[in-house]
Amino acid sequence: MYDLLLLLVLLALGYGFGQYAERRHYRSIVEREARLNALPAIASRYPPAEPHYQHALVTGSTVVSVDYFKRFLAALRNLFGGRVTSYESLLDRARRESLLRMKQQARTLGAVMVFNVKYETASISKGAGKTIGSVEVLAYGTALIPTPSR
Amino acid sequence: MKYRNPQIPEGINTSDRHPLKEFATLAGGAVLLIVALGWLMGQVAGSLAGLLPFEKEMALVPKELLSSDAGPELQAYLDRLAARLGQDMDLPEGMQVRVHFSGNDTFNAFATLGGNILLFRGLVEALPHENALSMLLAHEIAHVLHRDPIVGIGRGAAIRLVTGLLLGSPDLAVLGSAGIYTQLHYSRGMERAADAAALRAVHQRYGHIGGAAELFNILRAERERSGGGEMPAFFSSHPLDLDRLQTITATARQQGWHENGQATPLPAAFNDWMQDAAGRAAIPEGQRQVRSD
Repeated sequence: MYDLLLLLVLLALGYGFGQYAERRHYRSIVEREARLNALPAIASRYPPAEPHYQHALVTGSTVVSVDYFKRFLAALRNLFGGRVTSYESLLDRARRESLLRMKQQARTLGAVMVFNVKYETASISKGAGKTIGSVEVLAYGTALIPTPSR
Repeated sequence: MKYRNPQIPEGINTSDRHPLKEFATLAGGAVLLIVALGWLMGQVAGSLAGLLPFEKEMALVPKELLSSDAGPELQAYLDRLAARLGQDMDLPEGMQVRVHFSGNDTFNAFATLGGNILLFRGLVEALPHENALSMLLAHEIAHVLHRDPIVGIGRGAAIRLVTGLLLGSPDLAVLGSAGIYTQLHYSRGMERAADAAALRAVHQRYGHIGGAAELFNILRAERERSGGGEMPAFFSSHPLDLDRLQTITATARQQGWHENGQATPLPAAFNDWMQDAAGRAAIPEGQRQVRSD
């Protein structure tokens, strides 16, 4: 009985805090994306040759962990199969946050765009039984910084 | 060439389905699955348990659980009554019933593994005549005859095992705990079948079923007296007393049995035997098992 109560409390806490954080985060993401839209992140490996740019590696990394509610939902999904929607929004946030951090770094360097942008994902708790699952999402690319014209 | 990042609309990589809605669907499905699986396993285990030979069942009963507070006369009387009823009910070869009597004032009676029947003074004392006592005994003997205790335990153990495995805390020692021998829960179908068999036996013995219904009236009175709150195991899963009374009447009419007849009185010394048993129950606290429901 107490186990069930504890489970419900944990679920309620996970849901409450998780949803609150997610809504806040999305608001911040949308707002910053609009602000950094002037600095495009391009997947192409071939940067424009002209004018001449200085190159620099820029990275943005986010580590996300899953709340109790999302985890419970995903565990239930394990029984029936289908889209694990509770993780989808979490990873969507992590990808966009990483890209934003990368762009922020590029802007700090004075870059006008980032080329050859790629993502990497690494599981931190991989295979470690009952630990909290967390993943890192890393976005990286080549920042093009305009050189003063000679 | 101009490089731009277009504004991508929201909700492509995520789902706008409300998480609580998804939770309700999934949790509901999981609960349904567990219940269905538990029920199925219970049925299978119950029918398998019924195939267990009765001799094997007798070995499962912890001996210390079933001491008797009855004096020699009371024990002989109860044994005689049970033997006669057992004869009437055609107990198969090798299936014997053993009646134990507890001097506690608990209002209860039950049949458990190995043909052991435990009567409590609290209930027996309230019975007005032998017919009601016979009905009670015959009801418990019918449980033994139908193999209800082992089926009930098998069913309960399987259900606990399945839910335990699915919920992550399997209690594999269910058969070892003494609690399950006294906290048997029979299905309503089992209770109905036991009632029917008991009624037939009582009719065969006395030529009428007058007084058998008395047992259910007493149960009902006790239920009302105690406010219907915490019910002893004996009736918690039993069909409603009123239902049972109606079934008795209906069966009697159908079979053409007399509903009224001269009730056979209890032996003259019955009350003394009760006092004697109560006295025995009161003295040696350390040597007897405490039975709690």
